[in-house]
Amino acid sequence: MGAKKKVLFLGASGLIGPYLTPGLEAHYDLRLTDVKDHPDGIEVERLDITDYDQVLTGAEGMDAIMNFTVNRSDPDLSFHVNTRGAWHVMRAAAELGIKKVVHSGPQAVRRWYDHDFDVDDVPRTPGTGWYAATKLLADEICEIYARTYSIQTVCFLFNGLHDPPAGPITGRDFPVMSVVWEDLQHACRLALEVESVPANYQEFNLHSHLGHQKYSLERALDILGFEPVRNMAEFYRRPTEMS
Amino acid sequence: MIVTINLRSRRFGAEAHSIDIVRPEMNCAAGNDDHAKRTAFMRILLTGAASPLGRAIIDELGENHQLRLFDNDPVEADPRHEVVTGSVTDADRVWSAMRDIEAVLHTGEPPSQLPDDELARDQMLLDLATRGTHVLCKAAVEAGVKRVVYGSTLDLFEPYPDDVYISEMWKPQPAPHMVTMSRYLGELTCREFARDFHISMTALRLGRLVREDEVAGQDADLLWLDPRDAARAFACALSRDTSQSPVWSSRWALYHVCALPPNPKYLIAAATGAIGFEPQHNFAANWKAD
Repeated sequence: MGAKKKVLFLGASGLIGPYLTPGLEAHYDLRLTDVKDHPDGIEVERLDITDYDQVLTGAEGMDAIMNFTVNRSDPDLSFHVNTRGAWHVMRAAAELGIKKVVHSGPQAVRRWYDHDFDVDDVPRTPGTGWYAATKLLADEICEIYARTYSIQTVCFLFNGLHDPPAGPITGRDFPVMSVVWEDLQHACRLALEVESVPANYQEFNLHSHLGHQKYSLERALDILGFEPVRNMAEFYRRPTEMS
Repeated sequence: MIVTINLRSRRFGAEAHSIDIVRPEMNCAAGNDDHAKRTAFMRILLTGAASPLGRAIIDELGENHQLRLFDNDPVEADPRHEVVTGSVTDADRVWSAMRDIEAVLHTGEPPSQLPDDELARDQMLLDLATRGTHVLCKAAVEAGVKRVVYGSTLDLFEPYPDDVYISEMWKPQPAPHMVTMSRYLGELTCREFARDFHISMTALRLGRLVREDEVAGQDADLLWLDPRDAARAFACALSRDTSQSPVWSSRWALYHVCALPPNPKYLIAAATGAIGFEPQHNFAANWKAD
């Protein structure tokens, strides 16, 4: 068995990082970083994505960078963290010769298609909200750098993350385009392992429910080999025999 | 003629502000072949006003419109026009500058004084083009402005070979150089405002600005555009108001703008047909020398 790949993880203490990294740490040598303390007290290195020198230093010696930082609602910080931060990541990857980046964005960058079905690889249509608009710009920057420097860049689009249900759920539906932690961990491992993606940059829908037929997972299956570990539709079943 | 304009602002609540503007009557006589001058008097906010492009726009529009000149740098201008010094990233400053305005010409031109350090310079360019454009467009929407024109760049198509005709139908291929990339990101920001709001957004992808009289004897360039013609394109774009269209793709438009060489690579027919842009400085002497 070869040495583990070294991965810089940005946003280790955020809303996603603490649930994602446990599924990666057995497979990769993670450098966990954030601007704030980890909620579980795990040691993280201080790294501010808005400071290029910090990103560059953090990325030295790494094989891949995972960017799960975000600011959703601040008129200024959303630009600094989401847009400038993404530029810093891609610039550092280009400067250091790092050939794999995993990036994330909200479903909201495809907002215009909220009422469509079989939505796959569609143009970004985020509108003007700070969160989605700054992520649009980030995605564009990632794509430009990926194309120019052959940085294999995978961007996952989803809307909400959560635990799988403990048992059958009745009376309501699975939140659309949301993904359970285990599936995000699985998808990220596949993204870190895939040798290359078409055009060096790909955005993938990511969710854990195979029933809606709203956001297609076909490309994630074809290119990454991703399938939900367990189809959440199994949990959301209406009882047809009432006692 | 006195026109009353109502401003509604989310920033200041739902209170309506009424402003009376005295407008001179325009001479729009038939036969006037200057398209720019056929646009009725407007109160216009011009960003990057101290830049060479901004100066050219002042020369083009200053006589027939009321201009509010916005720039980081001091602007020397006719006292008829107002000057506001500040950054487009300063939301309060931009909001103040947007009062009473009917159209915004956002040149996208950066300030003359940029940091010497490459990283700091690129960070500033990115911030101005993305956050600054968002701040400006948001203020325009909130102030009830119906027309915004943005200055993008034809450098987005540099990777394409010279044996193709580049129209607006071609996919931009911006390089990761901030001067070019940031203009593209600003363009996308404007597009999203047209998607979300009833505002007419026009992006002009401009060629490389060089005055025809200053490049005598030089090899001609397919991307050249005289700043006076660039200014005319902004003036022409002012005539476009699709803000009331229920279709977002009608509220948004982009046009390629450069000189018209004998064998053009960058086609400007869309700008000519839609907004009446016809360049007057086509570098004929440079092309003949080729």
